[in-house]
Amino acid sequence: MTTHAARKPAGLERKTARKGWLFIMPAVILIVMMSFYPMVEAFLLSLQTGTGNNLTYKGFANYERLPKDNTYAAALGNTFFYLIVQVPIMLLAALVLAAMLNDRRLMFRGFYRTMIFLPVATSLVSCSMIFLQLFTSNGLINSLLLNWGWITEPIPFLTNAVYARIVIVVTMLWRWTGYNMVFYLAGLQNIDSQVYEAARIDGASAAQQFRKITVPLLRPIILFTTVLSTNGTLQLFDEVRIMTEGGPGTGTATLSFYIYRITFERVPRFGYAAAMSFTIFVMVAVLAFIQMKVGESKQ
Amino acid sequence: MKKLFALLLTLALLLGAVGALAETTITVWCWDPTFNIYAMNEAAKVYKEINPDVTIKVEEVLSADCETRQTAALSSGQTDSLPDIVLMQDNSGRRFLDTYPGAYFPMDGLVDYDNFASYKIDKFTSDGKRYAVPFDNGVAATFVRTDYLEQAGFTLADLTDITWDRFIEIGLKVKEATGQFMLVTQAGYADFVSMMTQSADFWFFDEEGKPNINNNPAVKAMVETIVKLHNSGIVKEAVDWTEYIASFNNGTAGSTIQGCWIIGSIVLAEDQAGKWGVTNIPRLDIEGGVNYSSQGGSSWVVPASSKNKEIAVDFLSKTFGASVDFYQTILQSSGAIATYLPAAGGPAYAEPHPFFGGQKVFEDLMSYSDKVPLVKYGVYNYEARDEIVNAIEAVFNGATVEAALNDAQSAIEFIME
Repeated sequence: MTTHAARKPAGLERKTARKGWLFIMPAVILIVMMSFYPMVEAFLLSLQTGTGNNLTYKGFANYERLPKDNTYAAALGNTFFYLIVQVPIMLLAALVLAAMLNDRRLMFRGFYRTMIFLPVATSLVSCSMIFLQLFTSNGLINSLLLNWGWITEPIPFLTNAVYARIVIVVTMLWRWTGYNMVFYLAGLQNIDSQVYEAARIDGASAAQQFRKITVPLLRPIILFTTVLSTNGTLQLFDEVRIMTEGGPGTGTATLSFYIYRITFERVPRFGYAAAMSFTIFVMVAVLAFIQMKVGESKQ
Repeated sequence: MKKLFALLLTLALLLGAVGALAETTITVWCWDPTFNIYAMNEAAKVYKEINPDVTIKVEEVLSADCETRQTAALSSGQTDSLPDIVLMQDNSGRRFLDTYPGAYFPMDGLVDYDNFASYKIDKFTSDGKRYAVPFDNGVAATFVRTDYLEQAGFTLADLTDITWDRFIEIGLKVKEATGQFMLVTQAGYADFVSMMTQSADFWFFDEEGKPNINNNPAVKAMVETIVKLHNSGIVKEAVDWTEYIASFNNGTAGSTIQGCWIIGSIVLAEDQAGKWGVTNIPRLDIEGGVNYSSQGGSSWVVPASSKNKEIAVDFLSKTFGASVDFYQTILQSSGAIATYLPAAGGPAYAEPHPFFGGQKVFEDLMSYSDKVPLVKYGVYNYEARDEIVNAIEAVFNGATVEAALNDAQSAIEFIME
């Protein structure tokens, strides 16, 4: 880039650069004001301790406090549980669905695509409330299982920590699989159908085509959705807040839930909450970096 | 045509301005349509006669949302989003007053506090100033389906002045006879954590405000009792508030043990009229354990940012703080039992309640109210309760009570550091 630019006359270069900057200025100003400035403020806040507005600077006291906090440890563990269990299942399901729905011979393709994408149009709050109603002790799922005689006592879906985590994962799968599928479908449009035709002529099975053509050619998009989903899952909040309130105990609490709780629902410690937010920020950055490295190296 | 229009517009604006000058609107946040919203609307009617220029506008805001909105407004300094009056849980009083000094309007001299129960005033006293007009009494009671008891061969008297162990025994028989749960509470037993502890004259903190969990006989007995209840299978553990209310409204559970403000939700099931009774709560079987406690209860506060705070306090003191008749009105339909002492002498308290088979429910509740142990709430009530709920969950999963409570003690000490 720089070597290329150096060959151009310096005056013209400066002039176009100035115009370019002018064009992107509105966006830059907005990003700086809405994103970067709050980030700096949040970092400064994370260096202060105290309750409510009685804050004083205490260096890294909040960060030193984190490793000693059992609730933080529990929330961190739960968050990674959601990340490790939910993201791979969701992305694989989205990929398989996309490959299936990309088949030109399939009838009612548009209908299926719409149906699978539709949950994305549901607000997270309504979606969580519906799943809460489905899984209560007299909800639809328990009633059906009882009626069929598969169980004799309602399953404590939301009051047992293990079940509750699984229900939350199921809710997230329902809500987000379609969203990722759309990215893959868009990616598949760019793969020439002749590639598949050639593979078929050579006798490749559907599974082989999926593994050897679809997945490698969609790698950049898979990478993109992985980063996006990791980011989203690390910030998981709505489902937990509505369906379990983090319970039983701290069994389903996530980092964002804990941050919200100590900011708004308990004696407010904004500094400590900000410090926790920064740990999420660092985790997102590190995981995204690793994923990019892994994604690139296989090319 | 244009001129006429302009003239009309000016006129309309002028009239609007004049109207605005004479009328004051007081906005109120509270949360329960059958209870405190109803009471507030009744109070508005009373005040309309005293000061017709004031309109009271009630907005339904959930209790938890009232708190998050206040935290957001007070922390950011954007206090113009706050209303003129907010209803606040007694448990949260000290937390807001101590965390945001100067954010609420002191009412000393404006409200006649001699007429209120002193335990209520304490919960909103900070630095010697009083910040709230007390509202409802949170006295706890056992609300029970007498027809379920009969099917198992018991009467209301069998459930009166008993221990929790006896309650479980009766509950098992009721479950056997009716096939329904004896009791419903929200999963986590958070309500019972505070109610039981207080019933033995203890709280999560000692006199100096230090956490008192692992060496607290009441907390230990409370956790053991909750584990017994959980293991007995007589308790329906509701996932959320909606399921909790539904469980006694649809007969899945035969009783609830709760602050008396729950009456408003119990009487919603009109088909169950005459099948309910009220008695005192089971006691912890330790020294000092009594059959009385309280749960919930709330008070009216006025944010200092309100432009009409004098009028707001005047409204509160002339209705909630002065009118015996008003309390008689709200009592029958909402069960809002006053902490305004002169109200107890009114005739409505002695009236038999048809829904509870003619029992003089309010008189009984008032008599329990005098016997509730008075404990001193702290700033970190909810944090302490959270940690005990976590400890109980750990015991459910196999930890010993002692180890779990030691963890809870160090966790709350850590939070208060």
